[in-house]
Amino acid sequence: MEHITNNKIELTNIVPSIPNMGGYVLFTGIVRNINEGKIVTHLEYEAYSELANQMINSILQDCRGKWDLQFANCLHRLGTLIVGEIAVIVSTGSVHRDEAYQANRYIIDRVKHEVPIWKKEYFQDGSSEWSKGCLHDSNHE
Amino acid sequence: MKAEILFFAALKDFFTAKQITDIEEHINVSQLKEFLCKQKPNASKIINVSRVSINQRIANDFEVIPNNAIIAILPPSSGG
Repeated sequence: MEHITNNKIELTNIVPSIPNMGGYVLFTGIVRNINEGKIVTHLEYEAYSELANQMINSILQDCRGKWDLQFANCLHRLGTLIVGEIAVIVSTGSVHRDEAYQANRYIIDRVKHEVPIWKKEYFQDGSSEWSKGCLHDSNHE
Repeated sequence: MKAEILFFAALKDFFTAKQITDIEEHINVSQLKEFLCKQKPNASKIINVSRVSINQRIANDFEVIPNNAIIAILPPSSGG
């Protein structure tokens, strides 16, 4: 399955139809208009797409090993995104809600810390900067 | 030997996104980082905290770079 996309992420008709799935959690990461006190106009995301896709797939497999899930997916967008657009979605479904919530948090935290996807912020004052990232997680997982 | 090296994000201010580079035989990941730091000292800070992948797999510092490898230097990331 592809976990990296250059297309706009839309939320219409996104809930999978699985009869024994009683809880479905959807997280969306959205481009916000401010970071560290500076006004953000837009972002650019780039990735080492082949490796990023493999790593997200591996995180989802780990997740399925930890919780009994009916559904788990993650999709991350690349390219230029304006404020209010969706950068990433993580969706998890389980028989009861608790596992879906836990699994969802696990996936987004690992994606943010481990997967080779980079964010460049463009500010209203004309400056731009690559996100510093999670330096403490830069060793080898 | 020749290796294809991919650079991403902030490292593209110092290197081209994809370059074929002559590196010594049997060097490991840590030695490759030292080599790149010598090429572009201003990029050392980022290189030293970057992960390295060999043929689309995250490598540790002691792995020897094989022939015809595709290497990627991965600065700390912040997806999502």
